[in-house]
Amino acid sequence: MARSPAWSPAGGRRTLPLQPGLLLPLAAALLLLLAGTAASPAVDDHGKHQKVDNQTHNFTKKAFPVLSFEYAHIKTPFEISLWVLLASLMKLGFHLIPRLSSIVPESCLLIVVGLLVGGLIQLLKEEVPPVLDSNLFFLCLLPPIILDAGYFLPIRPFMENLGTILIFAVVGTLWNAFFIGGVLYGVCQIEAANLKNIGLLPCLLFGSVISAVDPVAVLAVFEEIHINELLHILVFGESLLNDAVTVVLYHLFEEYTVVGTVTVLDIVLGIISFLVVAVGGVLVGAAYGFLAALTSRFTSHTRVIEPLFVFVYSYMAYLSAEVFHLSGIMALIACGAVMRPYVEANISHKSHTTIKYFLKMWSSVSETLIFIFLGVATVGGSHSWNWAFVTATVILCLVARVIGVVGLTAIINKFRIVKLTTKDQFIIAYGGLRGAIAFSLGFLLDPKHFEMREIFLTAIITVIFFTVFVQGMTIKPLVELLAVKKKQEAKRSINEEIHTQFLDHLLTGIEAICGHYGHHHWKDKLNRFNKKYVKKCLIAGQRSKEPQLVAFYHKMEMKHAIELVESGVGSKMPSAVPSTVSMQNIQPKKPAAPKPAERGFPQLPKGREEEIRKILRNNLQRTRQRMHSYNRHTLVADPFEDGFDDLLRKKQLEKTIKGISNYLPVPAAPLDSPTMRRARLSSDPQPYNPKPKSDGVPAIQIDLASPQSPDSVNVIGEFKRGGQTEPEEEDRGLMMAPPTAAKETNKRGEEDGARDQQKLTRCLSDPGPGADEDEDEPFLP
Amino acid sequence: MGSRASTLLREEEIEEIKKETGFSHSQITRLYSRFTSLDKGENGALSREDFQRIPELAINPLGDRIINAFFPEGEDQVNFRGFMRTLAHFRPIDDNEKKSAASSEPPLNSRANKLQFAFRMYDLDRDDKISRDELLQVLRMMVGVNISDDQLGSIADRTIQEADTSGDGCISFNEFMKVLENVDVEHKMSIRFLH
Repeated sequence: MARSPAWSPAGGRRTLPLQPGLLLPLAAALLLLLAGTAASPAVDDHGKHQKVDNQTHNFTKKAFPVLSFEYAHIKTPFEISLWVLLASLMKLGFHLIPRLSSIVPESCLLIVVGLLVGGLIQLLKEEVPPVLDSNLFFLCLLPPIILDAGYFLPIRPFMENLGTILIFAVVGTLWNAFFIGGVLYGVCQIEAANLKNIGLLPCLLFGSVISAVDPVAVLAVFEEIHINELLHILVFGESLLNDAVTVVLYHLFEEYTVVGTVTVLDIVLGIISFLVVAVGGVLVGAAYGFLAALTSRFTSHTRVIEPLFVFVYSYMAYLSAEVFHLSGIMALIACGAVMRPYVEANISHKSHTTIKYFLKMWSSVSETLIFIFLGVATVGGSHSWNWAFVTATVILCLVARVIGVVGLTAIINKFRIVKLTTKDQFIIAYGGLRGAIAFSLGFLLDPKHFEMREIFLTAIITVIFFTVFVQGMTIKPLVELLAVKKKQEAKRSINEEIHTQFLDHLLTGIEAICGHYGHHHWKDKLNRFNKKYVKKCLIAGQRSKEPQLVAFYHKMEMKHAIELVESGVGSKMPSAVPSTVSMQNIQPKKPAAPKPAERGFPQLPKGREEEIRKILRNNLQRTRQRMHSYNRHTLVADPFEDGFDDLLRKKQLEKTIKGISNYLPVPAAPLDSPTMRRARLSSDPQPYNPKPKSDGVPAIQIDLASPQSPDSVNVIGEFKRGGQTEPEEEDRGLMMAPPTAAKETNKRGEEDGARDQQKLTRCLSDPGPGADEDEDEPFLP
Repeated sequence: MGSRASTLLREEEIEEIKKETGFSHSQITRLYSRFTSLDKGENGALSREDFQRIPELAINPLGDRIINAFFPEGEDQVNFRGFMRTLAHFRPIDDNEKKSAASSEPPLNSRANKLQFAFRMYDLDRDDKISRDELLQVLRMMVGVNISDDQLGSIADRTIQEADTSGDGCISFNEFMKVLENVDVEHKMSIRFLH
């Protein structure tokens, strides 16, 4: 195999990104591999014959095979992996060539690649495998794309424009189907075209297949043009919701083409069927969505498999809907949209990331594969080109679309608040792309009943190519030319969220006053119901009570914090109280989240702590100035030890005081408090007896000049003041602050009194400015 | 209108209201019948109790403020003209109106006037600034009782920080308009009054 030489240059130097030049040999090698595996069935059969022969000839002994080649049993997974690898490498390659990806949309390039691969296979083998098998397409390739779209569907704009979307989807598609089918039948009647054998019903069937706007193609093209949200949701929503119409029309016409006639009863049944298909699909999806939300409530201990529930429930919704011939696409959309708010409230952050990236990955690979297979199937399929039919189809598709959009908009604009302008209409009409769904539906037609199947398929492929290539490539420059409003890249700010909610409430109130039960009224009712019953049931723990605003704020702060950490500016948080925010962000994720009321409490010590730290910081500076005047030998009491015996303390104090009563303070630096000045002036070497504590007036003790650790003094003073939150006392620095002690004795009683005593003994020279209040008291007895 | 309890709306009045607010004839008559049905005292004016009797307004978090917005400064009664004048803010903007509005005084339902109405509902003391306290009050009303003050405070601080470009710690009307420039106010602040 040519693989090894292609790999080594890539593997050698890891720092270099994979150059386009290296990709090409790689891709070529893969293509050869694919062609080779497609050609391998011949080898296998031969191998099987040999085995049978050996068995019948009584096991003649062979040498033990050191290296054997057995391809048959891994053929299928091997081929699938090769296709996926090819698709991914192609995708990688396109983005390495910037000029190309800006001019040509990815879908076009992928179809071209598909054509090349198909051509290659045909050259080698003359038989292209039917890759776009309808089963494969509908069961494996389509669901990831739809689920991705449904899970991340922006609910608000979707709901606001639901009426418009539904009218385009249902009425628009019906109009398209009947117009195209009818006019085509007329074309078929023309002698020159020699299409006489195509009856009315097959034409209508063809019309219904070709009329539906394809979500895959729309997604692929619209994603690259970044158009404004309204237009995006209109076209995309239409492409999703028209599935129900397509399903019903398809089955209706398919059934009755065999029979040959359609009666009025059939038409009535068809309408009822449409309602059943649409509503049934949505209900099935919603039911599975609720199940998924309920399951996610209990996954707090097994976080690893959380994403699996999302994927499996959604896929089951799709399959269940398909069992009953309901609209699988609508089921998927409903499931994703319903489960999302509850699941996201329950699952961990990592699971959320996992779900997001898995969905994007699968849908991306699916989309790539679909387009490549379209190319391959074009080459491989049997075609029957009929000029009249094909050109008529292409022209009619365009014409029908334009007439449909313009006509419907005229009606819709009467009911819309924000009208659709001509520019909008043009984009909506131009964005009606057809894609692989139409092809697969055509492929599903039974060749026995539909001899014209090949003509149909050819026409379908032509239309698809036309829409994807011509419309897909030109829509971007047209959008620029017409200056259509683009998508706003700005993230939703908390201001917008608050004001939007505010306006919602305001408008609901005004509607109530006018007695007008409109949009806001029902939305408000739904929200209330949701908050009261549904959230309690489906969301685990206390998150169920969290208002939407607060949840949004947490998410925003978390994102911001992650961004800051990633950018390396860890310390600078713009939010006013960062510590409270981070605590609350972590808490909701814990399985046993405390009550919202309790969430407030952990903050208090932190807030206090901040204050205390601030005070400490301020005063530490001042302490340094006065350090020299402190007494080293006095007791340093621990303010935290509440268990101190007061009496014991008092005794100790008295002992020390008596021992050093003969000493006078020697202030080394000029002290500014008037009391101290007095002390200096009237320095009288008299023993100073502390006044009895009972009268609540702590006296200033004269003591040995003994330095203490300023911290302890700080701490005592500070904790007192911390508790008091009296900012004016900070300036006094530490110590004694007899006035505070005086105020506090009524509050705290004995304990503090003891501490005051200590402080007093300690702080001889410097009672601080607070002592001003003591001026009325005699300094010296 | 005066003190005369008129149950029928005269043509001249309808014309005047039409000119002032831009509502159509049928809309005005429909809203008049709603006005009279709310007016239990039948004195041609609505009082605060009349509004409070509306059940949906009672459960609306902003109910009181909305009611207050109808009553001009210091008054306790609002007549039909005042009622319509306030409701005119919520009329959808017509395309042809947009063109003519540039010439004369902007109509009551222009984007700027809609935003002015919303702004006044935040700014109770009418100082043309939404202070932190006013914002906190509104947040408290919308969020309910479960959230602590500190948490709400940090949300309010963040909100002001995002919007406040002048650095005065309050949100002025211009800053308010700037923040909402991406929001489709014409759509969000309009009610579809059926013709």
